[in-house]
Amino acid sequence: MKVVDWSKEDPDDLWGNASDERILVNIGPTHPAMHGALRMVAELQGETIEKSYCEFGFTHRAKEKLGENRTYHNFIVYTDRLNYCSALINNVVYAMSVEKLMGIELPERCIWIRMICCELARITDHLICIGINAVDLGAFSFFLYGFHQREEAYTLIEKLCGARLTTSYTRIGGLMADAPEGFEQELQAWVVKTLAVIEEMDRLLSNNKIWKKRTVGVGVFDKEDCIQYSFSGPNARAAGIDFDLRRDQPCMFYREVDFEVPILKNGDVYDRYRIRFEEMKQSLQILQQCASRMKKGPIWCEDKRVRIPDKDVVHNTMEGMIYHFKFFMQGFEVPEGEAYTQFEAANGELGFYIVSKGRAQAHRMRIRGPSFWHYQGLSRMIQGEKIADMVAALGSINIIAGELDR
Amino acid sequence: MLEHIELWQSQVMELKEAFGESILEVRMPRDFPVDVPVIYLEKKHLLEVLRFLKERECRYSFLSDITATDEQEEGLPWRFEVVYQLFSQISKLRIRIKVRVAEGETVPTSVPLWAGANWAEREVYDMFGIVFEGHPDLRRILMDQRWVGHPLRKDYALKGFQIFTDSQSIDPSWLK
Amino acid sequence: MSKDGSSSFFTTKLDAFVNWGRKHSLWPLPFGTSCCGIEMMATLCSDYDMSRFGAEVVRFSPRQSDLLIVAGIINLKMAPILKMVYDQMSDPKFVMSFGACASSGGIFNVYSVLQGIDTLIPVDVYVPGCPPAPEGVIHALLALQRMVAAGETHSQKRLLAAKQA
Repeated sequence: MKVVDWSKEDPDDLWGNASDERILVNIGPTHPAMHGALRMVAELQGETIEKSYCEFGFTHRAKEKLGENRTYHNFIVYTDRLNYCSALINNVVYAMSVEKLMGIELPERCIWIRMICCELARITDHLICIGINAVDLGAFSFFLYGFHQREEAYTLIEKLCGARLTTSYTRIGGLMADAPEGFEQELQAWVVKTLAVIEEMDRLLSNNKIWKKRTVGVGVFDKEDCIQYSFSGPNARAAGIDFDLRRDQPCMFYREVDFEVPILKNGDVYDRYRIRFEEMKQSLQILQQCASRMKKGPIWCEDKRVRIPDKDVVHNTMEGMIYHFKFFMQGFEVPEGEAYTQFEAANGELGFYIVSKGRAQAHRMRIRGPSFWHYQGLSRMIQGEKIADMVAALGSINIIAGELDR
Repeated sequence: MLEHIELWQSQVMELKEAFGESILEVRMPRDFPVDVPVIYLEKKHLLEVLRFLKERECRYSFLSDITATDEQEEGLPWRFEVVYQLFSQISKLRIRIKVRVAEGETVPTSVPLWAGANWAEREVYDMFGIVFEGHPDLRRILMDQRWVGHPLRKDYALKGFQIFTDSQSIDPSWLK
Repeated sequence: MSKDGSSSFFTTKLDAFVNWGRKHSLWPLPFGTSCCGIEMMATLCSDYDMSRFGAEVVRFSPRQSDLLIVAGIINLKMAPILKMVYDQMSDPKFVMSFGACASSGGIFNVYSVLQGIDTLIPVDVYVPGCPPAPEGVIHALLALQRMVAAGETHSQKRLLAAKQA
């Protein structure tokens, strides 16, 4: 605590600003940019940021501690709330990580549906990211275009699992329910519509003089910085790091679909915005391929440890009822071991490091959220930039508070 | 994963030749229930080993994660395991380094190697109470600065509420 | 005001008129912290337009808004800030607790989460759901509008009690 001599200092000058020209400005945790509760304190010389301090923890929900106190099945619900803009990806990665520990193989249809979920979620996440980035800088109708396509995607997701945002769709060893009849055709129709909308959004903003002036050369984060701060995903690819976990450490059926990985080289806000457009187009291509290659079949693996019995078995047989009760009340045990499962989420590398001691609850459930590592780079990114550029930079790195604070 | 076992084994051999005495144990995926090689190190050569892995041919230059585990078991001389997950973008392989520490022991910081380790180590300190010596700014990061206790330890209750009636004040020296 | 101190015909009609105006021009302060923030955005956007009901002018300053929509988790770290924002709003102010986390802590009964914002500030409408569907939010907004018209919100009752005291 600083001891203040009020006879010499101005009582309204809470942080000692009057002594030099620098001003300390507090931004957040409630602020107009809808990025969640983040706090930044910036020391300004005029309008240029000299030093800054980023704080978070305002949405800390102790998911890692909950991971140690809930069964593996119960925890699926909490994984939605990590990157809530693309909840399906979190569900898929969590299910993959537990299946890796247990050594479970999945049937084909389940994997195709999971891939569809991942790419659908990736597109919705990118739409929100660039939409909010645009809203922060004043381009509001751009956001509404993207959001309408999100609503159409929500209709599709509702058909799959009944929920719009927090889906809890995957189960360990399978899925909650099969995709309904006609889902593939509706998905194809959505893909065509979304491609048209994305191109329209592109025409609206990408060559706009004001947008380019506000985003080109702003918040530059080059390759070396990206490696130092462990940036991954579109933020790293915009800086020129040619890396995508879907292509380089493929899981599911990513080896069998054709897609390209767009790379840009400047690492500024404009590139991060542009690369999300290109990634959305590639995701739409993957969706088309998955929807056309998906065939009918089972969606559950028949591993007795994790197979949730079907409802007709539960309601009509005694063993089914008892097994159902024990499964949901006590959970299943995962063999001892540890594994780190990673996937290319919409934001970057999402990883689950699970240490199991052979019980029905994890011993350690560590969630590696990409936004945590990206937010750390913000201080360095905005050093020397103007305060208005900070808003553009913050929007472009796509901080999701759920992933940041867990 | 098992198709990379030879490459991993050659990298581990290289590591053992350079740092043989600090490596306490190596668990390879074929023999243990792990998915990547896990190397248990003594903490005094941690930075050199990480630098070796980062800069030599294997080029594990991407720090995926730094975290810790509370292995509170009876009779063991150590309590926590600090876990470093490294990734090589060139050979597309992962490796895990673990350092075992007792309660109150410190671990050297990896901030000189990766600037991004700064916040990850602060989070480990906040959640487990493990102090990283040489860290430029070791403060709590997720919890309020006035929080007492370290939440992810096994002896901290899930519902251990601590109420604050005002938000924490910022010290201007924290700005960088 | 009539001679015995009770409201006269004119003041009750004036009150009703003012409340009518108030209910159709609620200015929300979106206090969105987590997932419910996205559903709040969806409600404010073109598909489930909340501006049809007058709540379009979203103001991020507590001095300029009268409906505090607390959407998302409120932490023990965030709670003093919520209280500060609520205190800075001027009467009459209305609070909508959006979602399960704001209403009761939701699925997170853990060391860092406030188990319901009504432990801290008086809440007028609770919207259940995790996250609530936008239709539910609009239903809550209409219920709030009914409450405002009838003078049943905490803030209006407090003002009335202060006036009569």
